[in-house]
Amino acid sequence: MINLEEQIGLFKIIGSQLKNKVECIAIGGSAMMFYRAKNSTKDVDLVFLKKGDLESVKKILFDSGFNERKNIKGIFREDEDTSKPIVMEGKETRFDLFLNEVIGFRIHGATIERLREVHEFGNFIVKTASPEDILMMKGCTEREKDRDDAAELIKRFNINWNVILSEMSSQAKIGMAAFPLLLYDFLNELRENYKIDVPKGITKELLSTAEKQFKELKKKGKLTTATKYKK
Amino acid sequence: MEIHELAKKLEGLQTVESIAKNLDVGRRTAVNYVGNLRKKGFVETIYGKRKIRMYRISPFGAKKTGYPGLYEFLNQNSKIKIYPPYANRIHDHKPTAEEMIVKAVQTGDFRTVLSSLSLFNKITDWALLSETAKKENVGRKIGALYDAARIIIRIRRMDERTRKSLLKSRIDSKFIVKNARTKDLKNIEKKWNVYLPFNKADLEAYKE
Repeated sequence: MINLEEQIGLFKIIGSQLKNKVECIAIGGSAMMFYRAKNSTKDVDLVFLKKGDLESVKKILFDSGFNERKNIKGIFREDEDTSKPIVMEGKETRFDLFLNEVIGFRIHGATIERLREVHEFGNFIVKTASPEDILMMKGCTEREKDRDDAAELIKRFNINWNVILSEMSSQAKIGMAAFPLLLYDFLNELRENYKIDVPKGITKELLSTAEKQFKELKKKGKLTTATKYKK
Repeated sequence: MEIHELAKKLEGLQTVESIAKNLDVGRRTAVNYVGNLRKKGFVETIYGKRKIRMYRISPFGAKKTGYPGLYEFLNQNSKIKIYPPYANRIHDHKPTAEEMIVKAVQTGDFRTVLSSLSLFNKITDWALLSETAKKENVGRKIGALYDAARIIIRIRRMDERTRKSLLKSRIDSKFIVKNARTKDLKNIEKKWNVYLPFNKADLEAYKE
């Protein structure tokens, strides 16, 4: 586990060793710590938009005593390798480094426009994803802890549900076909198990989009199987 | 009511009266709520006209770490205030005016550049300014902005060595703000071979 002060310390180490400016987006627990919505996190999740940036941070982490873990379990798209994170494990903490995509959610222009905070650590610039984006990314995973985090986000911040709806269609358009259904499932679970106030219109809209999406894919014969916890 | 819930409910600009109305409580209780929110770092006080207090409440703003970033730095040191598009913090060192002027020019935003003019008054190390500006390829732009600032604000004199060094420096583009060109500061533009984005009338904002 790592807390905010330790995370800042690690980012400072990375920043001091980088030769050029490197930008990334903090998501998940890491971003929530910057928002003070969480005290500690198990893994630091960072999304890079350039492969070179990811590689240089990976190298610094390796030089600082983090080892790359090869056998990663999780939900990944079977057709692409890019959605798999690079996992760098330290003694007490772990870095998950993503490139452009976080398990079922692709980072694009609108996501970048919604960024809330920018933290500078010398050459290392860490931007934090908006609560709406963190919530949607949490919706694509199966971990119980992510449900707790999502519930906390909805409790603490005024979530703009219109952003969620527009992002749902953007994600579906850029090829994340299962996204509306995953999100629908996720929000329903939050409403039932955590008694979170999710507007009914939103889940209705999500379901109808998901159904449309699947009908279209079926017509085109493009439905593929998704595997959970694939080794 | 829990403090986070309160911050969420009152998010945005508020006065004591609006808080009292929103929560259906008395004025005294509303003041107490503001005090509690401030303790946790959710409130920033700004003064309206006639010194009326307004509170900017945000559920994100709990106790900030590091040093202020560009926009906060400009708001602290310049007469022309900016609404920050995002919260910006610097963690590895205390930012200097020299560094912030260069950053402001790099944004390419009209108001940010205009606001940064008053930072020339805070410069203590001209050599550092020149070095940083040259490193980021904005040297001549900084020189031109300095000359423009001198028209309206009283600013310390730039030493000749820095001036010459900036004059010789390389830039990526002649525009400080994309496609913006001045009508009446042509002599400065000519001297530095860059396009200034504002006219004399824009600089009048410093006199108000």
